[in-house]
Amino acid sequence: MLRDITLGQYYPGNSVIHRLDPRVKIIATMAFIVALFVVKSFPGFGISFLALAAVIAVSKVPVKYILRGLKPIFLIIILTFMLNMFMIDGEVLIKLGFLHITREGLYTAVFMAVRLILLIIGSSLLTLATKPMSLTDGIESLLKPLRRIGVPAHELAMMMTIALRFIPTLLEETDKIMKAQQARGADFETGNIFKRAKHLIPILIPLFISAFRIAQDMAMAMEARCYRGGDNRTRMNGMKLGKIDVVAVIIMLLFLGVVVAERIWL
Amino acid sequence: MKQLKTRQTKFWIQAALIAAIYATLTIVLGSFGYGPIQFRIAEALTVLPALTPAGIPGLFVGCMVANILGPYGMLDMILGGGATLLAALMSYALRKRPILVPLPPVLVNAVVIGSMLYYAYGVPMSLLACMATVGLGQLVSCYALGYPLLKILSRYENIFK
Repeated sequence: MLRDITLGQYYPGNSVIHRLDPRVKIIATMAFIVALFVVKSFPGFGISFLALAAVIAVSKVPVKYILRGLKPIFLIIILTFMLNMFMIDGEVLIKLGFLHITREGLYTAVFMAVRLILLIIGSSLLTLATKPMSLTDGIESLLKPLRRIGVPAHELAMMMTIALRFIPTLLEETDKIMKAQQARGADFETGNIFKRAKHLIPILIPLFISAFRIAQDMAMAMEARCYRGGDNRTRMNGMKLGKIDVVAVIIMLLFLGVVVAERIWL
Repeated sequence: MKQLKTRQTKFWIQAALIAAIYATLTIVLGSFGYGPIQFRIAEALTVLPALTPAGIPGLFVGCMVANILGPYGMLDMILGGGATLLAALMSYALRKRPILVPLPPVLVNAVVIGSMLYYAYGVPMSLLACMATVGLGQLVSCYALGYPLLKILSRYENIFK
């Protein structure tokens, strides 16, 4: 049952996008999200779409692969589209019995759907073309200035790394515990939602005990190897801003400039 | 001094494993874990700050990791993580009154995630309806599962030491 779960969406590759500094990619993704909310017209979305398509083409992540990631939310997009189309009042274009499609409704529906799709593809491109581990390195480095006000940047990044590393282990553990409890007669499949929720307790308690045992051992092993937090720690693959990063930042600024200009003058 | 240092490492590692449990549960039991009509079983873990302060960073990072792996991308990661952190701090403050511990995650998530769905994703329900559907899912996972979990786990307090 747990075999067919793919973890994360990283698509291995060696394109320019893959090789960009993770910090640049995180900031660029944020800028893209902001840009999508700045845009208020279809030409603006056109520019954003072209920019996104260019980045996808350069990243060499197959479009099919990206669309597969969209599948779980496809239904939500359709539902949103339909509801927007039929619920908004205005100038009636088509009448189907008691349903009517208005010009305003159609406009809003298409507008929202386009924004949602761009938003999701744009932000998932970050995780598609960045290894989870370098993503956490990037987050740590970006959070570093916040250390002054007491944000434990290194510790949070370390936690993310460990959490990502242990998800497969705990998945296996959960599977084992479920089978063990089923062998003892546990029933996870019948009853109403409250009953089902309660039936999960015999899974959660052993899972906790086993996870905390792992934590105990790991803390001890780290201590034995003289782990002492983030100060003066070196890395095997340090992050360094290169030429391509500078180019990427310039392109990003250009894109933001165009989007803002479009909003103001068009 | 030495003792203190060990406890610190252990604190962060425990928090990391709590994050891993949260993310794992969201993925395994996750068919309804994301989106407007959310029912995230992992949210039952929001009672943990009442048992150990490691639960606060644990839930924060757990929610961020789960949302990195989920389909909604970065906005969900930042807002979901932030909401979870706020709720966890409030739950920690309420730890002396077990019946109130699962309340902050219900309210905070209803408001934050409800508004995110309404404003950012354009889910075509009224703002209040968005908040209500998220809140309802949270109510079930936090009170129907979280509260009994809190009761039972507090019997095994020694595992959190």
